[in-house]
Amino acid sequence: MSAPKDETRRELNRFLAEVEGKAFRIARIVLRHDEDALDAVQDAMLQLARRYAARPPQEWRPLFYRILENRIRDLQRRRMVRNRVMSLLPWRRDENEEAPDPVADAPDQAPGPADQVEGMGVLAALEGALARLPARQREAFLLRNMEGLDVMQTAAAMGCSDGSVKTHYFRAVQALKEQLGEFWT
Amino acid sequence: MNMNHETTEFERRAAELLRASAAGLDGATRARLAHARTAALQPAARTPGWLEFRYLAPVGAVAAATLATVLLLSPGKPVAPVNDGTGSALYDMDLLSDAEAFDIAQEPDLGFIEWAAAQGEGTGG
Repeated sequence: MSAPKDETRRELNRFLAEVEGKAFRIARIVLRHDEDALDAVQDAMLQLARRYAARPPQEWRPLFYRILENRIRDLQRRRMVRNRVMSLLPWRRDENEEAPDPVADAPDQAPGPADQVEGMGVLAALEGALARLPARQREAFLLRNMEGLDVMQTAAAMGCSDGSVKTHYFRAVQALKEQLGEFWT
Repeated sequence: MNMNHETTEFERRAAELLRASAAGLDGATRARLAHARTAALQPAARTPGWLEFRYLAPVGAVAAATLATVLLLSPGKPVAPVNDGTGSALYDMDLLSDAEAFDIAQEPDLGFIEWAAAQGEGTGG
């Protein structure tokens, strides 16, 4: 693990500046938390610069997104474990039992994704629908559609075959269309 | 299932929206991302060679072995007898089985008993 040389550093800086916004949005859609999303992007930048700067620049993009996805998954796993542990603590359980949340218990009257398209704005509705997709479908959709990676690059970033990428992407599009309503198309 | 479809209007629109959202991040987030990028590109602080694990591990192993040897070879201190109360219990049993001893133990004026015993030893009887 060594620091990149000056020329490489300049090139890496350009690359990271180009992808950081999209990477943040991807992490934010999945994690739904600004700080966690920033942490994930920062870690991905750091790892790419320290471990893979010497690799050919055309490999950086899939590598970067692969690192980012792993980091997002780590953060999700950690959050899940923390929530499980908290739910096992007896005083936390007592608190929940003694003070039921009337808002949480109320019947869900939130608008569906199709209604959100009109009510909240298309971007919020799209992000909500993306957050509800299975992880691999969401990953394939965001890398192909938002980042513009081709099938091969997406496969390298996701660590799967080209065929799997096509399947995940196709299913993601179908699911999103279903969720967002036909009038969105 | 046709997966070799051309990009649909839905996909184009989604891509536009998502890319626009990434391009339109607020200034604070942009600044933090730029800061993270700069930090990632900084040379990492190098650990001095002699502090690396491969050098420290043998030193640690030798220190642990020396400590273990010292502990094994050092003479142990004499262990003080532990008063666990069994001594006084045996004394009580002895008193109960010896009627005369029990009587003496009940005597309020133990000073007299000691004087009488000393007199007896002095007269040889």
